[in-house]
Amino acid sequence: MVRTRRPDPGPHGDPGLQPERTTLAWGRTMMALVTVSAIFLRWLPHHGFPILLLFAVSAAAAAAIYLTQRRRYGASARGISRERVDADTSAVLWTAFAGVALGALGIGVVLAG
Amino acid sequence: MPSNQTPPGDPVPPSRGKIAERLLPGGTEPDPRFTLANERTFLAWIRTALALLAGGIAIEAFTSDLFPEPVRKSLAVLLLLLGMLLSAGAAGRWVRVERSMRNKTPLPLPLIVPLLAGAGALAAAVVLVFILWR
Repeated sequence: MVRTRRPDPGPHGDPGLQPERTTLAWGRTMMALVTVSAIFLRWLPHHGFPILLLFAVSAAAAAAIYLTQRRRYGASARGISRERVDADTSAVLWTAFAGVALGALGIGVVLAG
Repeated sequence: MPSNQTPPGDPVPPSRGKIAERLLPGGTEPDPRFTLANERTFLAWIRTALALLAGGIAIEAFTSDLFPEPVRKSLAVLLLLLGMLLSAGAAGRWVRVERSMRNKTPLPLPLIVPLLAGAGALAAAVVLVFILWR
């Protein structure tokens, strides 16, 4: 053995750290949603109540990501170990739906205000 | 079921859930690293869309003393519309890439790339024309 002190690749043995990178990508998206929800709140004095809807959608999407991160990491780490990860269809669809809803609500607010 | 749909060592594929089986039918399970990479690419598009949504809202809220109302509103709607289309397009691309990986076909060309480039250039052109002719 030439290299005896190899760093621990984690519970999945993947040197590319795919589960970590994917969970971090969801975390970045969650932070982007939190930022966007804060910008919506800043809009509240100009446009009033409908802004709270936009804030609720983005904050709920961020919370949903936050609450599923542990399960997500576990599922992808186990999936890498057994060489099979199920595509997370529902998470992708919900996230995309949140983006579409935010755009539609935002356009409504701009045109109404 | 054709024999190439069952990977060796996994004779009875476990259920993948109703939505996944309807949206991503047939084929074989791709390399799990590819599935996770596809998911990260989708998320990068979603963050781009979120930045556009935030930009559209910032334009509407903070530039009232800079742009006259028609310019401001059309810019804001353009950015919000682009963010909305990119969100939907990112999910569509995720599905098409996942399908082509399951069926071992070439990856589809991303339609959202020309969409983002074209609409971004349009938004820049609106601002440029306004600044030059103000």
